[in-house]
Amino acid sequence: MNRPTSHHLRIAGYLFLVAATAIPAACASPTTPASSPAPKASFDQALHDRLPQPVKNRGVLRVGTEASYAPMESFAPDGRTIIGAEPDLGTEMGRVLGVHVQITDTEFTDLVPKVTDGDLDLALSAMTDTPERSKITDFVDYFSAGTTIVVQRGNPAGVTGISDLCGKVVAAQRGTTQEDLLARSQKNCGTKPIVVKKFPTNADTLVELRTARAVAVLNDLPAAVFLVNDPHTSSSYQLASTTQYEPGLYGIVVAKGQPRLRDAVQGALEELLRSGVYANVLSRWHVQAGAVTKITVNSNQ
Amino acid sequence: MTSRRGRTPGSRLFALYVLASLIPISVIGFVLVRGYNDSGVEFGRDQGRAQAAVIERMVVAPALRGADLSAGLSVAERDRLRSATDLAIFKGSVSHLRLRSFTGTIEFSDDGSVTGSVSVSDPAFLAAAAGGVDVRIIEGRQDAPANVRVIQPVIAAANGHATGVLEVYLPYDAIATKSEAGTRLAITRLAISLIGLFAFLALISWWTTRALRQNAATHEYDSLHDPLTGLPNRELFRRAAEDALARGRRGEQGALVLIDLDHFKEVNDTLGHHAGDKLLQVVGRRLSESLRTDDTVARLGGDEFAMVLPRGGSRQETVELLNRVRHELGEEVLLDGVSLNIEASFGVCFYPDGAETVEDLLQHADSAMYQGKHGPEGVVIYEPATPHQGTHALTTQRELRAALDRDELVLHYQPKVELDTGRVTCVEALVRWQHPRRGLLHPWQFLPQAEGSALIDPLTTWVLKRAFADHKAWTAAGHDWTVAVNLSVRNLASLPFADKVRQLLQEGGLRPDRLHLEVTETAYAFDSELAAQVVGALAALGVSMSIAGSTGLSQLRTISFSEVKIDRTFLADLPGNERDRAIVRSVIDLAHSLGCRVTAVGVESQDVADWLVTAGCDQAQGYLWLRPSPWTEVAAAFGAATAKTVVAAPSEAPTPTARTTEHAPAQTGHEDRRASR
Repeated sequence: MNRPTSHHLRIAGYLFLVAATAIPAACASPTTPASSPAPKASFDQALHDRLPQPVKNRGVLRVGTEASYAPMESFAPDGRTIIGAEPDLGTEMGRVLGVHVQITDTEFTDLVPKVTDGDLDLALSAMTDTPERSKITDFVDYFSAGTTIVVQRGNPAGVTGISDLCGKVVAAQRGTTQEDLLARSQKNCGTKPIVVKKFPTNADTLVELRTARAVAVLNDLPAAVFLVNDPHTSSSYQLASTTQYEPGLYGIVVAKGQPRLRDAVQGALEELLRSGVYANVLSRWHVQAGAVTKITVNSNQ
Repeated sequence: MTSRRGRTPGSRLFALYVLASLIPISVIGFVLVRGYNDSGVEFGRDQGRAQAAVIERMVVAPALRGADLSAGLSVAERDRLRSATDLAIFKGSVSHLRLRSFTGTIEFSDDGSVTGSVSVSDPAFLAAAAGGVDVRIIEGRQDAPANVRVIQPVIAAANGHATGVLEVYLPYDAIATKSEAGTRLAITRLAISLIGLFAFLALISWWTTRALRQNAATHEYDSLHDPLTGLPNRELFRRAAEDALARGRRGEQGALVLIDLDHFKEVNDTLGHHAGDKLLQVVGRRLSESLRTDDTVARLGGDEFAMVLPRGGSRQETVELLNRVRHELGEEVLLDGVSLNIEASFGVCFYPDGAETVEDLLQHADSAMYQGKHGPEGVVIYEPATPHQGTHALTTQRELRAALDRDELVLHYQPKVELDTGRVTCVEALVRWQHPRRGLLHPWQFLPQAEGSALIDPLTTWVLKRAFADHKAWTAAGHDWTVAVNLSVRNLASLPFADKVRQLLQEGGLRPDRLHLEVTETAYAFDSELAAQVVGALAALGVSMSIAGSTGLSQLRTISFSEVKIDRTFLADLPGNERDRAIVRSVIDLAHSLGCRVTAVGVESQDVADWLVTAGCDQAQGYLWLRPSPWTEVAAAFGAATAKTVVAAPSEAPTPTARTTEHAPAQTGHEDRRASR
């Protein structure tokens, strides 16, 4: 989403792969590792030393997330625990850094302000590293994903691409790249603009779509694939097409004034990548197709 | 007796089956009823859980619009909650509804109360705070009906975030009525099914045990009855005898009878086993038909039958009954075209008469029966006082075998006297047994046992050899007597017998014409054709043959005999009985016209001897001249020449007479029975 123009990418292979692995994941507990010797990340004293003194004092890294974006992060059935690929990555990162990672549910639009204000040390919430955002905070990029269109099962509105959304109601989560994407797409609609309804959580947008108050929702691919494969939701939703728009990188949000923390986070992620824990976690949640080979900072070009 | 024994264990087995199948059926019934009751309660809980879930999602969550209960409720939120729940609470669809924060604070209550909720430390509350759902049925009290209490998290927003705890009480009675009705119906169906199953099992058990009972009864019947005649077998007879003896000890009188058929072995040997079997069947039928219902007739084996006659009248009546039975048994039987008269010996033993065991009774009846076999009466009663003359056949056979080895047998001879010259021309060999314990035994005391076994062959051989040896001896002493030997019916039933005689003649150095073989007519009774062949073969050797008999002379038609013997029964009353005289005279004439000599047997008085002379009889033998004795005594009595001349004279010259006679053929055992009594 770094580019103003829509970037189309054929994602058929990606979809197939994720779909094939997501179905069994819905039945088996996603926390069950597939292979026998689970790789382990080791504590790194040097990285720990780079943590800000207050973090070291607390022994806790405060991480914000908006938990309505399965399988990246969502509430467990108990309504209290936050689970998903990103909470798991956060936990593993804490292991390397030698601190406890405390993940709290935070509204998406509050994530960046809270990080810059110091209420949160990090934000880990499937947030795409965009040029606009990286002006405000630093991003340690660790995952690759693009946007897809989710519609009601049966696609009653006949949506096949973004241009079909003109003149129709689309639900979007406030503060997301999807919101920006829709805004940018308005210029192709002429006199019949897309009616964008904005909500604080992704779940709210899906309620709109399920109850036909919107014809489409834009979701990042991992969340969309999970949605159309999970037995609880697969009868309600489907992908409008196999097209993926504006692929970008998810980044962990770090305040601009915390370069040592940023480096520590980068180092910890590199350790996870090197040790295989990273791949293991992504596989556990069947999102390994979005894996990156290198942990970068602010690489939103 | 058998049916009673068979039924009782069968019924017990049936009862056992029924009881045994009741156990698993009761267990199944108990487990299933428990299961139905449990699932009825479970159904109630599920109803509560489902209703609470709907209330939470459709009433509470929309009213809260995602508000976190720990932050307290705004007035607007509280009002929305009230308006959403008022009617349901007022109408009793919901008994109570409370919303609480995770710390337990009651943020909303249907009746405004802030007490009466579950404690924060209650496991149900803790479970709900941890995301679980606790459903419990709260029993009704006097002031409150039963409720289903559901405590569960409030998840007010679409993102699934739990923000507090919902505590809701739903009326249970309606649910319970429904689930109890379902449970009752299920239990009724189950009860009907189980009762049906039980009845079915009981039916199968009954059917099976009945089949078993019948099988056992059949088996017992088979094991206690003789398959050939259908009569009770030895075992059942023994039980009947035990019962009878037991009643006898209580004073009831009765009789035990053993019956042995005469000449049954010959029937088997000559007509075959098939005919023998048929004969046994006829005997069995006749015996059972002629008895009273309480009596038991059994076949002990072979040709041996037995009866138990309980509740007998006097001894006289019993004997009369048995005589009648014996008479009915003796009626003519047609077997494979051969007409037979069955003769049987009855040994009777009355009980109690001091008998201790059934063995005693059987032994007594056995000895009486063997007396009967050789006495004039067919029915012999065991008398405890009489000396034990009869012995068991097997013992006799064993002893006789030993006697042959030890040479305990001797031959006595009775001379045949030529009536016109008084000269002895022939002596008839008669076997005697010098028994070491029982003294000198006559043939009737052991020959039947020999005839009933393979002993008859060695015995005949022994008699022939000894007779030939004696003949040699008296010839050397200057006596010109031929020797006569009696044949057994069993000898005539064996074709190789003629060869055997020829061989023995050669070995003994005797000319065939010096040997005289005597057969009785009864020898022909069973297979006359075979007997005729054997007689023919013997005649062909040059041996002269004689036939003795009191009935018809049909054998004279086909076989050339050189001598006909007239039975003593015709001679006993001869001088005074015109009919006997006519018969004897005709037999003499008949024999003469066939070229046979005539010998009268059992002549005891001079009167008879004189009459025979006038009638033209050729020879005679009897106590008038000499009772059977060792040949040396015959020699002494008659000397080289005529010792006693009987002159045919019209005047009846008185002559010393012996009181009794012995005149029957030796080996066949028809010696004068009176001689032994």
